[in-house]
Amino acid sequence: MRLGMFFREALRSIRANAAISVAATVTALIAVFILGAFIPSFMYVRSAVSAQTSKVDVDVYISDTASVKQVNALRDKIGTLKTDGQVAEFTYVSKDDALRLMRERLRDPSVLDQLPSNPLPAKFNIQPSDPANANAIVAAVKDDAALDPTEGIVYPQTTADRLLTAAKFVQWAGFALIGILLVAAVLLIGNTIRLSIFARRREVEVMRLVGATNWFIRWPFMIEGVICGLVGAVVAVAMLWGIKVGVVDAWASGADTALTKTGSAGEAIAFPLLTVVLVGAGALLGAVGSGITLRRFLRI
Amino acid sequence: MARIDDDIHDAGSSPRAFTLVEVPLETVPADLAVVTPPSSEKRRRGDVFRPGPGPMVQFQGVIKRYDGDVRGLDGVSVSIATGEFVFLVGQSGSGKSTFIRLCIRELRATSGHVIIGGRDLGELKRSKVPYLRRAIGCVFQDFRLLPDRTASENVAYALQVTGHSRQEVNRRVPEILALVGLDGKGDRLPRELSGGEQQRVSIARALVNQPRLLIADEPTGNLDPDTSQGIMDLLTRINRTGTTVLVATHDRDTVDRMQQRVIALHKGRIVRDAEGGYNEDPGDTGEIA
Repeated sequence: MRLGMFFREALRSIRANAAISVAATVTALIAVFILGAFIPSFMYVRSAVSAQTSKVDVDVYISDTASVKQVNALRDKIGTLKTDGQVAEFTYVSKDDALRLMRERLRDPSVLDQLPSNPLPAKFNIQPSDPANANAIVAAVKDDAALDPTEGIVYPQTTADRLLTAAKFVQWAGFALIGILLVAAVLLIGNTIRLSIFARRREVEVMRLVGATNWFIRWPFMIEGVICGLVGAVVAVAMLWGIKVGVVDAWASGADTALTKTGSAGEAIAFPLLTVVLVGAGALLGAVGSGITLRRFLRI
Repeated sequence: MARIDDDIHDAGSSPRAFTLVEVPLETVPADLAVVTPPSSEKRRRGDVFRPGPGPMVQFQGVIKRYDGDVRGLDGVSVSIATGEFVFLVGQSGSGKSTFIRLCIRELRATSGHVIIGGRDLGELKRSKVPYLRRAIGCVFQDFRLLPDRTASENVAYALQVTGHSRQEVNRRVPEILALVGLDGKGDRLPRELSGGEQQRVSIARALVNQPRLLIADEPTGNLDPDTSQGIMDLLTRINRTGTTVLVATHDRDTVDRMQQRVIALHKGRIVRDAEGGYNEDPGDTGEIA
């Protein structure tokens, strides 16, 4: 019965302060919308960065003068690294293979016919199990006798480091931004509800005067906040869904770009989960916003 | 001037379902059941503020200083017995409102003791203040009704606060409205009522939880003399049922007419405490206008 009464009180005050209730709802809508647009974007960027990072590989070039025995020794060394788990995959690319690959890549392969001999060295292409292992792999093979003295090891050290740093940055910046967005949303909703309470300061005074306990006064306001937060969140989710179906999905299926392939749909957040998170966030924003704001008015 | 007519009419003797009959405390007739209800009524929580025996209101050397050394009360000691009807008089700034606000713990004394129903309010925890306020009925000059609620809903709110069931609210509210002379006006919003009628709603709300102490701060301050008379009659009748009534006012005519105990304040001190009119000795209160 009490809950029903608080609920009726909340609805009454929403009706009585329609303008402010709409303002609070729109505030929640905007906050949830931004959050809802940001979370999948963040997840997408994160998965894209980690996909790029996993592409960092190490090329070990073999000297033309190296004996078969030396090459086999190097192959065994890398094989051991694979057994240790540091290397995910490695392939041997012979001089002929290298030339063929080069031929495929060039627009005008006929230039290669001018060459007196094949200048391309053979190599091992090594994919580290984790980009962070790359340095250890390089250290393990760099003094091998089979290595080409001029080419040696080609490993995009700076690219890898930058990507790793970028991945970390994206992660932390993302969490920080989500945090800031949440705090901003709580403050915004709180501020709007403060308006509502300020408009009814006299009313709260009267309630206290007839002996209403703080929770008796607080409940309807908090329910009001939750209702505004929920309605705002639901509308925001509907808008996000419209954008996802109408824009993002259409673009993703129509375009066959490297970018869409990089971050596959499975790596971004699932929409139902996002919906639950956002609606929950909306309700929480409303409750916390009004709860915090009321404290000041319930003194004495 | 329909509203005045209405209030005059009401203050007179018109036949009503419920009337406050003036009787000694010991013999409470059945039709006063609204004011002194059956004890079978169940409260929702144990936190009921029950006045003990002894004086209803006691001030012991109470000093209240506001910021900047402004003195609200400057050493007030007074005792009001249970069942008394007392006027608190004085100019604006004499400390009347401070006195009242100390009684309901809207303010805390800087020093000294404010004791209501045997409880020292200085020791009352903040969380217990609502229970104190339920035991005290309050009426104000500006009525302090909830503007978007009807007369009935305003009275009902005070009952909901104390955890009464909906059936009980539905039963009690029309009774108490009839008691203060607002039969059939329960569905009106405050702005649709005259000043006198709004004050009656406010009195109904103050009474509905059967307070042992009724405090009125300038209850007739916004009303014309005839309407004021009606309100004072109502307060008198409430007092005759055993409720202690404390009225702060600067309405000289009303006080002179009623001839009750008068506590006069001037600059935060009690300058007179005797039965009679507003100002038996003009030199005491410094009242000029």
